[in-house]
Amino acid sequence: MWERLVLFALLFFCLAPPTLADEPCQSPYLPKVTGQEDFVYVFTLGVEGMGDGSDKLVTVGANPSRPDYGKVVSSVSVGGRHEVHHGGFTDDRRELWMGGLDDSAIFVFDVATDPAKPKLVKTITTFTKDSGGVVGPHTFYALPGRMLISGLSNAKDDGGKTALVEYSNQGKFVRTIWMPEAAPYGYDVRVSANLNRMVTSSFTGRANYMRKLPELMGDAEAMKRFGNTMVVWDYHARKPLQTFAVPGAPLEIRWALAPQHYYAFSSSALTSKLWGVFRKDDGTFEALEIAPIGDPLKGPLPVDISLSTDDHFLFVDSFMDGTARVFDVSQPRAPVLVLEQKIGSQLNMVSQSWDGKRLYFTSSLLSNWDKTGADDEQFLKAFNWDGKTLAPAFAIDFKAAKLGRPHQMNFGSVDFYRGRVAARPSPASPEDVPRVAEGG
Amino acid sequence: MGRRMARRLLAPLAAALLGAFSVAHADSALFTPPAPGTYELPPIQHVADYELLDPHGARVRLLGLAPGQVALVSFVYQRCTDGSACPAALATWKRVDEALAARPALARHVRLVTVSFDPANDTPERMAELARHLRPRGDWRFLTAPNEAELRPVLADYGQDVLPLVGAGGERLGLLQHLTKAFLVDEHGDVRGIYGSGFLSAQILLNDAQTVLAAESAARPRTAASR
Repeated sequence: MWERLVLFALLFFCLAPPTLADEPCQSPYLPKVTGQEDFVYVFTLGVEGMGDGSDKLVTVGANPSRPDYGKVVSSVSVGGRHEVHHGGFTDDRRELWMGGLDDSAIFVFDVATDPAKPKLVKTITTFTKDSGGVVGPHTFYALPGRMLISGLSNAKDDGGKTALVEYSNQGKFVRTIWMPEAAPYGYDVRVSANLNRMVTSSFTGRANYMRKLPELMGDAEAMKRFGNTMVVWDYHARKPLQTFAVPGAPLEIRWALAPQHYYAFSSSALTSKLWGVFRKDDGTFEALEIAPIGDPLKGPLPVDISLSTDDHFLFVDSFMDGTARVFDVSQPRAPVLVLEQKIGSQLNMVSQSWDGKRLYFTSSLLSNWDKTGADDEQFLKAFNWDGKTLAPAFAIDFKAAKLGRPHQMNFGSVDFYRGRVAARPSPASPEDVPRVAEGG
Repeated sequence: MGRRMARRLLAPLAAALLGAFSVAHADSALFTPPAPGTYELPPIQHVADYELLDPHGARVRLLGLAPGQVALVSFVYQRCTDGSACPAALATWKRVDEALAARPALARHVRLVTVSFDPANDTPERMAELARHLRPRGDWRFLTAPNEAELRPVLADYGQDVLPLVGAGGERLGLLQHLTKAFLVDEHGDVRGIYGSGFLSAQILLNDAQTVLAAESAARPRTAASR
């Protein structure tokens, strides 16, 4: 009887419809676009005198089989300039939240009703009040039924002391978790649900990130007010466990995805180093500097990283030299640089498709940190990656299109909202089922 | 009962058993869940207490909690073929039921609820069949709705997405696109925990239930004194 049941179940698994899994860095709780993405949603900062001058969500066609490939499909202005920066989908992928670093406004778009034309359905203007003084909502990370948001600053002094904030998917404030005293700065937050661990990184406060970059870099005291820490947390309890010294503002965090790969990467902006946060045999973690990014003495300013789903390639963008570097990180403690390619005069975000075949790059860092004059290129550039070379696919000049400064990107799919694919979170095998010590 | 019907009924159970099997045979512990009461679970959202159908076809409250009780609610459908989704949720609820059976003092305070979001196929009779196969040892409700219209506000309130899967020609495949979610709800109808089915852990569910029960118990005298 047991054998018959198991055989029957296996047959059913084999007959299950194809599923979408994930773009590499999204929350493990989020259904992912594993096939060809139809759209790239681009968070874009408004520029005075350019178009309507407002921050906006720009939708770009990304599917070569559609007539809108490589074109701007739609654009939704939010009204005014808020220093929109990062955002993320809710766990059902029906809404896309976008945060403004300047006034802490949060814009919520419905991307399910018409994925080609997202609609602004809600604006949360009470983030700072709700959270007890947190400023600068940065990372938006989907948890079941909730959004976990990392702050950058606080309303008391616009410094770097900040917190993690949770909202329900309905937009109701849930709680604030302040960063530990020994590591008060914040930036990114990423969860490994299988390990019940969460890692945070650290940047700087509003007083610095809203300041003109040349002026800031000339202020020695202000330059001391950057984060130098990463924190490993008990995710379920939301309690800090370990704090690591990581000099020079460690920014984006990317957990490895393959089974039994218990580590994450980050890059430090001011010191231009790659870092690894590795789980040790006793279950604790260690943070190790694992490679330089370009010539640190020249200050390339690495800003964004993207890890392929097989944990083989790590793409690293650096702003100052406008260069993408690809590291072979199959030996995660000993990365090997395999490609350096200049993408533009300045470079910021990088997003890759789940299959690792398509890479998208944007140019803008922050409105007051972008370059000026001819070096202030503003673009979205798409490339195809074959494991060795980055080949241009299409590009959109956001200045010529009078759209603004493009920053973070997320992927959209028509089929997902039409019932043409099954939705499931990341885990695809028993390896990914959380293994916990039972008892109590 | 026809052979075809028997297969339809047994398929999710077999899948559930496989899910339980894989979890039970994990070779090593990657983490120890935080102990009950050492962390906070603030209210995330509020849900109403809806009337649904029990396996006898009688209308009952989805929650129907008494003071000092919590409910662990999962939404599933029996035709689900994704082993990490509904079968995993059923397997986890079975494990929680078994664990509670060994702890009667705690079991009095915890209600398990399984709600189908496929009322057209998961009739009260089929939910009764599911219950017979899973053999609950404690307070475990198996509920369905009379129709999709009555189910819709329940799903909307909890934030449980469900969409019919269609083929290339737009024809319905008989399967549902969904993220299987589970919820810990306190006596006031406040949701204190939301869980993704791919990461369900019976131990964490039990610890969370105890954490909320302890917090509610501690709050009760203060509430009375303030009146």
